[in-house]
Amino acid sequence: MTGKDIIKITLNLVVIYLVGGIVLTAVFAWTSPIIYRNDLVEKEQALKQLMPEAETIEKLGDWTIHDKHAEYFIGKSGDMVIGYIVQSFGKGYSSYINTLVAVDRDFTVQSINILGHAETPGLGDEIEMESFTNQFSGKDREHLQLMKTETEDYIQAISGATISSRAVTEDAVKNGVDFLIKRIREGEEGERAEREQVF
Amino acid sequence: MNEPNANRYFDLIKNGIFAENTIFKLALSLCPSIAVTNNLRNGVLMGMAVLFVQVMVNMTVSVLRHFIHPRIRLPVFMLIISGWVTVTDMTMAAFFREAYKEMGLYIQLIVAFASILARAEMFASKNKVTPSLFDGIGMGLGFLFALTIISFFRELLGKGSLWGYPIIDAKPLLIMILPAGGFFAVGLLMGFFNWIDMCYAKKDRSS
Repeated sequence: MTGKDIIKITLNLVVIYLVGGIVLTAVFAWTSPIIYRNDLVEKEQALKQLMPEAETIEKLGDWTIHDKHAEYFIGKSGDMVIGYIVQSFGKGYSSYINTLVAVDRDFTVQSINILGHAETPGLGDEIEMESFTNQFSGKDREHLQLMKTETEDYIQAISGATISSRAVTEDAVKNGVDFLIKRIREGEEGERAEREQVF
Repeated sequence: MNEPNANRYFDLIKNGIFAENTIFKLALSLCPSIAVTNNLRNGVLMGMAVLFVQVMVNMTVSVLRHFIHPRIRLPVFMLIISGWVTVTDMTMAAFFREAYKEMGLYIQLIVAFASILARAEMFASKNKVTPSLFDGIGMGLGFLFALTIISFFRELLGKGSLWGYPIIDAKPLLIMILPAGGFFAVGLLMGFFNWIDMCYAKKDRSS
């Protein structure tokens, strides 16, 4: 390798990597605000879809599950509390399943929405299907249990995807509901205690 | 003047689809051909993304072929490939949100496709831009064709449906949508296409 080669190679790499970097930066600067905006809109829509009867959905706070950050919300119509929505994660077969769970005031599940996951395509990804998620409507805490056989009262597993189904049912949804029950009751008791102190 | 050229381009496309089909003949990029082909929709979408990246990479490499020093051509090709893949990834995330949700994971995988690097090295770095364009189209279409046909059989047999719509009302062969079924499908189809080739070769010899 001669000195000329070394200079040419260096120049080659510098120019190509510089141009590549500039192109990628430009595309990123152009697309990332759009992606961010889309994400926000999508999240809002997902919340609204879970609780269509609520007029306003406000964020109540944050919590963590499986070391992941999640949020929870309260749905109101006027001053009436309609229910709560909690984001939760379940440890699936090959990913953490990001789930939104809407419950009414008695903490009975109204509907769920799978926001994201990386389960096996063709098997585990059927947790997104309505035939699976619709089962959750009307189930209270005690009935959030996975069954491998046909069932109306509990949640029926998707054949070939028991681990993913269990992660949604007994991990994400159940833990999310448990958390809400604990946190909301705590909050109510806290409020009552405060009121009693005043009197 | 135009006709022999047009023929040559057509041959390039045909070459990519049949004689040098990435999966069935060159046996390259077999990993995605098994990983994403358990339903028809994923197979087709992935094939289209590869088609796009292959064409863009081929053209870029061909434009830059005199500028790139031979000793560092591979790292430079890799940069071009990952650059185009990232551009595709970000643009799709911004403008084709629904499709991106389905195939976002696979698009990033294209960086590691042997077939794209192989074409940049074997064809685009030695040919002018237009032939490279058609070679890219040919190879991309070949890949699309292979993924489509593999995922067609896997979804039909493994789930009894096509593009998500139920077709067969019987208990499907679950194994076909598991990785093991992918190997069966690719192997049998590879055998089938080679068998057709042999039949043609025999005919040519006897005539």
